[in-house]
Amino acid sequence: MKKITVYTLSTCPWCRKTKKFFTEHNIPFSYIDYDLADETTQRRISQEVDAAGANGFPYVKINDEVIVGYQPERYANALGL
Amino acid sequence: MSESKINIESRKKSLHYFFGKVVEPLGFKFTPDEEMMNFLLEQEVILEGKHGIPFCPCQPLRNDRIRDMKIVCPCIPFHRKHFDEIKRCWCGLFVHKDVLDPDKLPQLPQKEVNNE
Amino acid sequence: MSEKFSKAILANEIAPGGMKSVELDGNEIVICNNGGKYYAIQRRCGHMNAPLDMGTLDGIYLTCPMHCAQFDITNGEALSCPVPADLGPEVLPPIIGGYMQNIGMLMKHVHTESIRTYATKLEAGWVQIRL
Repeated sequence: MKKITVYTLSTCPWCRKTKKFFTEHNIPFSYIDYDLADETTQRRISQEVDAAGANGFPYVKINDEVIVGYQPERYANALGL
Repeated sequence: MSESKINIESRKKSLHYFFGKVVEPLGFKFTPDEEMMNFLLEQEVILEGKHGIPFCPCQPLRNDRIRDMKIVCPCIPFHRKHFDEIKRCWCGLFVHKDVLDPDKLPQLPQKEVNNE
Repeated sequence: MSEKFSKAILANEIAPGGMKSVELDGNEIVICNNGGKYYAIQRRCGHMNAPLDMGTLDGIYLTCPMHCAQFDITNGEALSCPVPADLGPEVLPPIIGGYMQNIGMLMKHVHTESIRTYATKLEAGWVQIRL
């Protein structure tokens, strides 16, 4: 079972679509709404996102693979759907 | 910001007016997806109510003024090459003027665009 | 409210897109020319009283010069609150820093109220206002 973590923003419709994708495919995932998180968590995520050379959300991690932006085809690919 | 008296619809209308004038000479227009446009503008009004500035609803605030200024809507000038390549801004509020079907525009980060 | 309109200013003294402040019976008023339609609003910003005629007018939207609150001149509605200033990363001398912190704290309690508008009419080349 692949581990899926998503960094999202509560204000972003593409992040909502991303969560919906996993929910509708019955795939368990965890997410953090960056804008609602505490300062320490925000700093950690900020550093991680910077290290990956990204700047937008949604930020999806499927095991070690990072997918930035709403890209349902790539999610499906990474999950073998 | 303690303010809650701002009327969201009124503020959306004025942001629409101001933003339209900024993006037009850059070759962009509001997305023809009106539901998306309304949703995003509303999120920006909420963000403006919280922070005093209408930030992009889809990019993270870094608590670093210089970085955060680059995601004040419309942030197209700060991401011109990227957004011109994907024909939309990150959150999709704006698209290139010739775009009729915004659903067909994928949300690709900068470094993936050149690999296409 | 009286039905009487008072002469405020000659219409051609305000360029299209521009605004001018006048005083009528002790009322400080700003008159805006929006494509030949004249609007009259209270001169004092609904935030901290700054003179709005020193701000900028774009269409029907007026931005206060002091903290950039914005108003709809057709109905006086406050559309946005002040934009927070950023003084940069330099550490301020303690007296100034302390003062700014206190002001900043108090300003969080200052509301941006909508502003009063006045009915206007154009007659014989004059913009007239009902006080």
